Amino acid sequence: MVEAGSGRYLFAVTRGLGDTDLAGVTGMRGAALALVRHRDLEAVVCDVDLAEFGEAALARNLEDLAWLEEVARAHNDVVFAAASRGTVAPMRLVTIYADDDSVRTRIEELHDRLTEALDRVEGRREWSVKVFTTASGPARADEDAPAAVGSGPGSGAAYLRRKREQATRRQAAREQSIELAGKVHDELAARAVATRQLAPQDPRLTGHTETMLLNGAYLVPIDEGEQFRATVDRLGTLHPELTLEVEGPWPPYSFATLD
Amino acid sequence: MAESTPEPPAPPQRAHRLLPQRLETDPESVERDLLKLVLTIIELIRQLMEAQALRRVDEGDLTDEQVDALGLGLARLEEAMGDLKTRYGLTTADLDIDLGPLGTLLSDRFSGPD
Amino acid sequence: MTELTSTTRTTAELPGSPQISLVDLLDRLLGTGVVLAGDVLISLAGVDLVQVRLHALITTVRSDLARPEQRGG
Repeated sequence: MVEAGSGRYLFAVTRGLGDTDLAGVTGMRGAALALVRHRDLEAVVCDVDLAEFGEAALARNLEDLAWLEEVARAHNDVVFAAASRGTVAPMRLVTIYADDDSVRTRIEELHDRLTEALDRVEGRREWSVKVFTTASGPARADEDAPAAVGSGPGSGAAYLRRKREQATRRQAAREQSIELAGKVHDELAARAVATRQLAPQDPRLTGHTETMLLNGAYLVPIDEGEQFRATVDRLGTLHPELTLEVEGPWPPYSFATLD
Repeated sequence: MAESTPEPPAPPQRAHRLLPQRLETDPESVERDLLKLVLTIIELIRQLMEAQALRRVDEGDLTDEQVDALGLGLARLEEAMGDLKTRYGLTTADLDIDLGPLGTLLSDRFSGPD
Repeated sequence: MTELTSTTRTTAELPGSPQISLVDLLDRLLGTGVVLAGDVLISLAGVDLVQVRLHALITTVRSDLARPEQRGG
């Protein structure tokens, strides 16, 4: 069943955006952006075709990585532009309403939570710090040297003992790395207003071969951003057994996105 | 002064799943491609059996004979796996077909001890 | 550690957005992140033929299930 007609795609709810602040920025599939005002807030929206963004179509499209990438990047472009001009509470991907009245109703319902989120992130940016281990040595069960097995009684048990020793060594190394990553996180958290730890990312999705120990998001005042970056660089130098990747400044996705 | 808003990592099974990985084969390479798939699955099972064996030994409800037999069997399996890889000129890195969360569960990257 | 100055900014230009990796974006925009599905679809000459559901194929056995003969009764 193909749904007909159009819906309103909601990118974010903002505070302090002027009517011309998003000039030159287009919405989904080139559609024009609009600001739907309600009380002290603005909803950044555009029209979308329900044949592509309706419930039935989404069930299919959301599993298509190419489609996801196009839509996620278009969504991100709008959120970035809005965050350059005002305080932003981003929406999750494909938050769609029937019309502007529905959008206003929802903003009214969520007004307190939105205000709380916007207050939390005003004047602040998100920074992403990922910590990887550079430790060499067997990290995976299939990379261990095969435990040689002798013959005679007890050799099977001896084989298992060696396997256990290898597993224990791997575990100890992993725990050490995790503890160190925790220390790095604590240092960074001390320089942030808020933090959030995201799930470590699948190496096949990131292209990194090293183990990701920490996927941290840090909320940092705008003016302290470069100082935060310098802190990350310093920690990276201090701990050669870790690789630290810092990215930012970004809109506060991890701190103001309401579900 | 930092306030932490710690959030536990999202459990993988609730995360958004993408379509199945596609193993494209053509008539020239289908035999080799399927072989790699089979060897990858055998290697995954071997690792799983090894981890489970160690757990069962830890639980202490196996006799010494069972432990020894288990170890010998696993050792032979590892040896056979090595022979197969050698025969077909494959390294462990070659067996790199994406197998989704199973690969994640078995590698030591994300899972801690059960 | 740092004091708020009277010129604390509330907003500022953000450099170009393409710098965020797709994985990072999806982690944040989808809320629960992304995993590759635990399946393999085998195709030959461009035709999808067989789907192997590995998740269902391989599970470990809990020790209490391994010894049904020891259950009471």
